[in-house]
Amino acid sequence: MSAGAGGGLHAVAVNMLGVVEHPALGDTPYRVDADGHPYLPAGDGGLVLGVRLGDPVSAVAGDHVAPGACLVHPEPAARYALVTYACIGNPAEVRTGHAAGARGAVIGKRGEDGRVVTGFRQEDLLRMRPGDQVTVRTSGQGWQHPRVPPGVMVMNAGPGLLDTLPVAWPGEGPMTVGVRAILPSELAGNGIGRPAAAWDLDLQLPAGPDGPDAGDGRPPGAGGLLLGDLVAVTGLDARHNMGYRRGWLTVGVVIHGTSPLPGHGPGITPILTGPLAALSAVADVNGHRGLTESGLRLQ
Amino acid sequence: MNVTSNAERLVRQILTGEVWPPLGDRHVYRAGPDGQAFALPGMGGMTLGVHCGDPATGYASDHLEPGASVRHRDPGANMALQFLTCVGNAVRIESGPAAGAVGHVIGQHAYVVVDFAEPVAEQVTTGDAVTVTAVGQGLALPGHPAIVVKNCDPALLARMPGGTRPDGRLEVHVAARIPAEAVGAGAGMVSEYANTDLMGAYAGLGEDLSLGLEGLRIGDIVAVADADHRFGRGYRPGFLTIGVISTGQCMLFGHGPGPSSLMSGPEDAFALVDDPGANLAAWLHGDTWPHGDEEPGQ
Repeated sequence: MSAGAGGGLHAVAVNMLGVVEHPALGDTPYRVDADGHPYLPAGDGGLVLGVRLGDPVSAVAGDHVAPGACLVHPEPAARYALVTYACIGNPAEVRTGHAAGARGAVIGKRGEDGRVVTGFRQEDLLRMRPGDQVTVRTSGQGWQHPRVPPGVMVMNAGPGLLDTLPVAWPGEGPMTVGVRAILPSELAGNGIGRPAAAWDLDLQLPAGPDGPDAGDGRPPGAGGLLLGDLVAVTGLDARHNMGYRRGWLTVGVVIHGTSPLPGHGPGITPILTGPLAALSAVADVNGHRGLTESGLRLQ
Repeated sequence: MNVTSNAERLVRQILTGEVWPPLGDRHVYRAGPDGQAFALPGMGGMTLGVHCGDPATGYASDHLEPGASVRHRDPGANMALQFLTCVGNAVRIESGPAAGAVGHVIGQHAYVVVDFAEPVAEQVTTGDAVTVTAVGQGLALPGHPAIVVKNCDPALLARMPGGTRPDGRLEVHVAARIPAEAVGAGAGMVSEYANTDLMGAYAGLGEDLSLGLEGLRIGDIVAVADADHRFGRGYRPGFLTIGVISTGQCMLFGHGPGPSSLMSGPEDAFALVDDPGANLAAWLHGDTWPHGDEEPGQ
């Protein structure tokens, strides 16, 4: 239980059950990429091994690959609730199967039907399988975090998360956030117009040879995004659905990799949104450190 | 449009659907751009008083779907209806007091949106059965191989001004040009279903939300900058998508009046002509519209 600044309301913690997802495909294996070519989506949800926070977003030839285990719930309404209330940094513990007792943490969330992305140690992920039950101690959604200036909304962040990230507010003026890259809102893809408390926002940085590592004329840092990086998007207000608003900034955590689908790409789970007067981003293209395994105690 | 196409090779298929009710839930309210709670009509049912050529914004409405909102009751058949139906296709009312009346598809929006003349529309309600003569998917322009055409009845293509220019580009008349930053909900979805909501057209709300798009009209042909809708909907600098505004005013944030996609390709494959008259109203429902005096399905 954590108190808000200045005697604010306490955050409530709720244990919620998630189930490790099994990937699901239709009766054709193919999706169609931005150039009209068919591809088979590998790693889109479920349990993925060998992909970790700190890896480049285009390190593997997959589709929306997230590091670790995606959690869902068989009841759609319970699944939406799990996704809405799970916050980055919330503790997770495996309840069933060979890895029972293993501890991890929420890394982020994905939208549409909803998935919570959880990180575990690789040796624990090796022993897990789809269907394993995982309990998530959800806490933080809607809570007024301390040391955040008026006008800035925090979302999807567990209590204590901001202390582990390059976020600073001296008590006056804007809050400053260190990020890998600052991107314009026209790169905001799938997720725009959807509620940021339960969706991620895909950045339209294409996969493949022209992908984020290609270093073409995009904003500094856009070519070198790593899983776990903080990224700022200008002209984007994420308080009530994500949408265009001049003079605003939204900061999110990169929680999955690239996608060949048009309008898709590396996804961020938003954690901060506010007017530029209250929230500013500083890009550190080479030295940035965002959400890390050590910060989440996954090492 | 003066352009060679494969129109004579297209298949006409008869589809059915019904005017689908607006849907709600017991929590009623949703949130607007500034957090304002709202409960506003617009999606589903038979929406009256708004037709092609009318302003798209300025209504107390959310996701305004002009005319009839049509779905099929079977989920698989519904996706066929949504994917195969094209802008300009004829739709005949099959039940109720307006039975026999014919209107035209103006776009897709998770519903097929059908514009009927107001005296007809006044007699139509939820549950009325309709027949759609679907034709248009597969339409191609052999002289413009870089351009993908979709959701476009060949009769609509024939009625649009422009066509192949001597320099090889396709001349298209557009009522408005849309900046890439206006693209909202719909990004990343397939381009044969629903449409692309445009932000920056929240008439009556804050200046910091505006991208100057409040003047759009239902039925306007528009060009969306840096949008590649050939195989889905994504941002791609140097590409262009031509669409038709098929839905109007939104209060839900990140949403807005939306074009259904008609053509997409590299920017330099098109020659755009700014033309305030580039609107479906100029071509649909006229005496010379090929489907106007024709029974769908015959």
